[in-house]
Amino acid sequence: MKTYWITWCVLLAFTAAMLWADTASIPRLAFVGFMLAAMLTKASIIGANFMHLRSEHPGIVATVVVGLLVTGVILYLLIAPDAARIHEMVAAYGRK
Amino acid sequence: MTTTTIDRWAGGACPFEAGWRKVMMWWFIVTDGLLFAGFLAAYGYGRILAFHWPDTAEVFSLKYIAAMTFVLITSSATMASAVDASRRGDRRQALRFVGLTAIGGAAFLGMQAYEWRHLIAEGARLSRNPWGDAAFGSYFFLLTGFHGSHVLTGVIVLLTTAVRTAKGLTSADGVEMAGLYWHFVDLVWVFIFTLFYLL
Repeated sequence: MKTYWITWCVLLAFTAAMLWADTASIPRLAFVGFMLAAMLTKASIIGANFMHLRSEHPGIVATVVVGLLVTGVILYLLIAPDAARIHEMVAAYGRK
Repeated sequence: MTTTTIDRWAGGACPFEAGWRKVMMWWFIVTDGLLFAGFLAAYGYGRILAFHWPDTAEVFSLKYIAAMTFVLITSSATMASAVDASRRGDRRQALRFVGLTAIGGAAFLGMQAYEWRHLIAEGARLSRNPWGDAAFGSYFFLLTGFHGSHVLTGVIVLLTTAVRTAKGLTSADGVEMAGLYWHFVDLVWVFIFTLFYLL
């Protein structure tokens, strides 16, 4: 049970760090990088310690990680560049 | 034949060395997680597409959202403790921690209802809002509403688990399944909190 409350402390520390970063003057790219890294670390900690993925069969771990993380990243990377094109189009042709 | 199948799904002979309930719960979590991934990807698309996305620090009180996050993380820790107590056969402590988790979930829902009420009073709607891009309101209500419906479901599951634990009807596996669902709800909030409120 001690592990769970240590995990709780770590998660709160990460959340506090993210809130601090939100108010600090950090370059946008570094800010986004830090936030994404902290988010994925928090998600991994919850999965590993609270959901016990750390002690599950590697098949379950692979299914969850590949199924969720990789698919999510592919999903986003496939559509995000298309969304960015709107700004190029507006620059070229105007908003109407 | 039936016995063989049940034996295999009891977890002893793989494929994942876990019982059928746990495997099915993980399958559910992955598919439900993909639904959230789709919503978040759509939000990312809309966010890039927007010409004037509102500054979330001006729209929301981040201290309030941080308090909501604190409540949810704490409820996850109490849920993990409930699973642990249940595994040890300590029914009384398991019941206490499940009850605390349900209270945490209900508190989160109350806080979210207050947040919604406040934003609606300020003019936020699905199709418009006073702060910027029109899609902001629809993404906000869609993401937090869908997550909130999961929290509500989780609270109902927790209350059912608490009653069944009190009566001695729920096995340690049953508490663990409720726990997996609850942690998933917490996990999704980590993404919404970062991607919607902070970035």
